[in-house]
Amino acid sequence: MTDFRFAKASLRAALLLAGVAAVPVLLDARPAAAQAFTPNSEIIQGLQSAVDNVPQVSAEALRGLAQAHMKYTGPPESRPPLAIQLDQLAQINVEIEFDLNSAMIKPASYRTLGSIADAMHNPVLLGYKFLVVGNTDATGTREYNMKLSQERSDAVVEALSTTFRVDPRRLQSVGVGEEALQDVRNPDAAINRRVQIFNVGSAGALSEQ
Amino acid sequence: MRFAGLALATLLAFAGGQAHAQTVSYAQAAGLLAQHCGGDIMKHCRGLNLGNNAIHNCLVQNAAQLTPACAANHASIREMTEARAAAQRAAHQACDRDRAQYCPGLVPGDGNIVSCLQEASKVVSATCTSALVNAGYTQQ
Repeated sequence: MTDFRFAKASLRAALLLAGVAAVPVLLDARPAAAQAFTPNSEIIQGLQSAVDNVPQVSAEALRGLAQAHMKYTGPPESRPPLAIQLDQLAQINVEIEFDLNSAMIKPASYRTLGSIADAMHNPVLLGYKFLVVGNTDATGTREYNMKLSQERSDAVVEALSTTFRVDPRRLQSVGVGEEALQDVRNPDAAINRRVQIFNVGSAGALSEQ
Repeated sequence: MRFAGLALATLLAFAGGQAHAQTVSYAQAAGLLAQHCGGDIMKHCRGLNLGNNAIHNCLVQNAAQLTPACAANHASIREMTEARAAAQRAAHQACDRDRAQYCPGLVPGDGNIVSCLQEASKVVSATCTSALVNAGYTQQ
């Protein structure tokens, strides 16, 4: 929970890749191979507008699942994973450094934030909506981690939508605390302190604000 | 002071691989703010965030205490971000005619418009083309 760092990646490239990964969905109505649809649901999928092939993930649903997950009181390794198919979404993990026990984004991460904004303004991604998900490690209480991660993901979304002018209608923020650890065997490991960004499908036409 | 900032902006505009763009990316501007004012922000604006002008307002309020590098540059760095944002807003107007002509299926506000205009880049107007470059939507 200390400084919320994570895996280094070429953000811009990664986000663009995420967008590219989403493009075939637009062009190809078949469901992704990894999804186990029954033939019936496959037909329904095929008849829906193409981007609906992306699993429907709302901020509310994810927040509800994370809250419900807090009932599993055993050690992190014994808790079941969050029952939501986030893995099927185009996504990236972002390295953003926060001040200790605070939602303040450290200046060292400003450039990263700007890069995320640039990518979201890139033509490849301009038509999409995103879910910004904050995660902590397992240091501290679960309630505190839940609150802190929500404040941190809110801070990221606020900077993107005000300073960097990403349309707020394209962004949703969810803190899941320590309920979705990346490394459950090492619950305090730095890899767990991460911000995830998921491409959650087409934004549609947004009226001028 | 102002001149130093503008000179920096000009230098960046020509150094960043965007030879013809008159604006710089959000990442470049944000990186410059951290570079020139990172220490000042941790000292005078601890707990505040970039969003909603909080850092900007804090730097303005603490103008007398800032390091020379931050004092000399933070306003012009902010102008870089604002210039990019303005260019992005302007691009939609500058390209509206081209959108209607070359992207007839798309309505204003559709995120796919820029991709469509890029695909039609051989025929879109010079005004729209340069607006897209300044908005950072296309590299030239």
